[in-house]
Amino acid sequence: MSEPILSLRGVSQIYSSRNASGWGWTTIRAVDDVDLDIREGETLAVVGESGSGKSTLAKLLLMLNDPTHGEVAYRGASLAKLGRAKRNEYRRQVQAVFQDPASSLNPRMTVEQTLGYVIRRHGIAAPSDQRAFIVRQLASVGLTPPEQYLSRYPHQLSGGQQQRIAIARAMMLEPKIIIADEPLSSLDVSIQAQVLQLMQDLRRRTNVGFVVISHDLGAMQSIADRTAVMYRGRIVEIGQDIYSRPVHPYTQLLLDARLMLDPRGGRIRAMAAVQAAPSKQSVTGTGCRFRDRCPYAVEICDATDPALRKIDDGSTLAACHRTEELAAGSIPAKKSRASTAIT
Amino acid sequence: MRAPGVEADLGVPLLDVRGIKVHLRVADRLVRAVDGVDFRVDTAEFVGVVGESGSGKSTLVRAISRLMPHVRVDELSGHLRFEGRDILGLSDRELRALRRSRGFSMIFQDPLGHLNPTHRVGRQVAEALSPDSSGQPERARVLRLLDEVGFADPGRVARRFPHELSGGMRQRVMIAIALASDPKLLFADEPTTALDATVQLQVLQTLYRLHKERNMAVVIITHDLGVVAELCDRVYVMQTGKVVESASTLDLFERPQHPYSARLVELSSHRLDFRGGEQ
Repeated sequence: MSEPILSLRGVSQIYSSRNASGWGWTTIRAVDDVDLDIREGETLAVVGESGSGKSTLAKLLLMLNDPTHGEVAYRGASLAKLGRAKRNEYRRQVQAVFQDPASSLNPRMTVEQTLGYVIRRHGIAAPSDQRAFIVRQLASVGLTPPEQYLSRYPHQLSGGQQQRIAIARAMMLEPKIIIADEPLSSLDVSIQAQVLQLMQDLRRRTNVGFVVISHDLGAMQSIADRTAVMYRGRIVEIGQDIYSRPVHPYTQLLLDARLMLDPRGGRIRAMAAVQAAPSKQSVTGTGCRFRDRCPYAVEICDATDPALRKIDDGSTLAACHRTEELAAGSIPAKKSRASTAIT
Repeated sequence: MRAPGVEADLGVPLLDVRGIKVHLRVADRLVRAVDGVDFRVDTAEFVGVVGESGSGKSTLVRAISRLMPHVRVDELSGHLRFEGRDILGLSDRELRALRRSRGFSMIFQDPLGHLNPTHRVGRQVAEALSPDSSGQPERARVLRLLDEVGFADPGRVARRFPHELSGGMRQRVMIAIALASDPKLLFADEPTTALDATVQLQVLQTLYRLHKERNMAVVIITHDLGVVAELCDRVYVMQTGKVVESASTLDLFERPQHPYSARLVELSSHRLDFRGGEQ
């Protein structure tokens, strides 16, 4: 395995806001004591429900947020202490693509101006070559004929085309890694498939790695080398085959919540599976933060917060006290303690 | 389990739309958002409308429910009957009466945008109640509706403001408001697109249960074929303002006729083909 290009060590991001009454503050641990290594050239998917801290994680990796505790390191050097030259290198090699391409592109700049700005800012092509360079970039993200797009404004492009421009902008610096926060969720299904295909092509051509934040497990399975499942600020499971062999009960819950594409076996019609509701209050005190929704929770889950640890065969890490028992199939699911009703 | 299709033979369909056209004026250009669509919903049927953004599916449903306040409509024509009654020619007052009692209701993708932030939930549900014939107190009817959409403690929810609720709870409140007029037909425009998968499943289950319990027809707009496979009896596939395929859900998945529907099915199942391994 290659060395980690980005790594997180004990990283927490705590947001605080004033209570509704105006007295006192509420703190939210959006990311809570996370360790993570991202290797060069790999595609890491980060999945989880809203509020699980996925986007905060992306912001930390992009240096848009400074962590409250812990350290984010780029090639072993702490981001907080990067010198000017190293920071510039980081800014070039770690790029971002966002959810809503329309708002991540300047509406008053044409495609050529948008991409030309990056070229001048980073000096990656001589001014005389600028146009030819942009044309090559557009072609490489599948916008053909490229000349036709140069003078367009973002509103003259479809969502999929806008997302391609955003990817072209990220790719032209030849980054080592692209952090993409929900790059698919504002796109139609057929366009999503094209963008996923484009990401695959780019990986093969340039060995760029991706960190893709998404709530769409189906799309992630088709591109991810590894997938991290986040729950309330923690990574509860990370591994290569969490889709076919989930270890953590939360991963199982997410997989169960997907809709079936089988018109003969619709589960909603049968009204079989009923999910526990996510309770709004975060679980307080010590103990596993998933225990209020977990069908397998026992005393130890109330007492101790499970650490992320290797599960027997090695490639998967999970944070659950009872994985071995669950794998052995020795415990039946009891009824979830958080009832199915919404309070 | 399919809902029996016998209602179709009993004469008048619940909703019968023929050759509807909605042409809009957008920045001086004529947009044929809906261009000659035939659309039918029978009593107690669950019907899906799928298509990509811009295919006209939302416009179609809004035109049918006559909710088009923000756009300039150039042409709205066709044959549009609800329980055999022409609703294209109805006055605003007659339309309001239809929405208010035993007619149709609508829920939307973004409940926060359709709830009043300054009123408590209970009051907003009460506002939508159909004129009462049973003599029950308003409060009891509101609480029963909130109970029906799955709240464990309706009294507490009734006292909340929309911003105090989670996305799934807000969508349930929207459904309660829509049900307050005791509709025979519910239009749901991407009701779960903004929700997490686990919450989506709960809301869809609620919707399906209400459809069964109340014998209420539902038209659900979605771009997610998973929603269709789980819920719908029949589907309309729309592309650029036209219905390109109308089929039973089973036929759509197993024998799609139009190349566009075939591609939609193929794309969706391609992305989810990993399911096989874990069952």
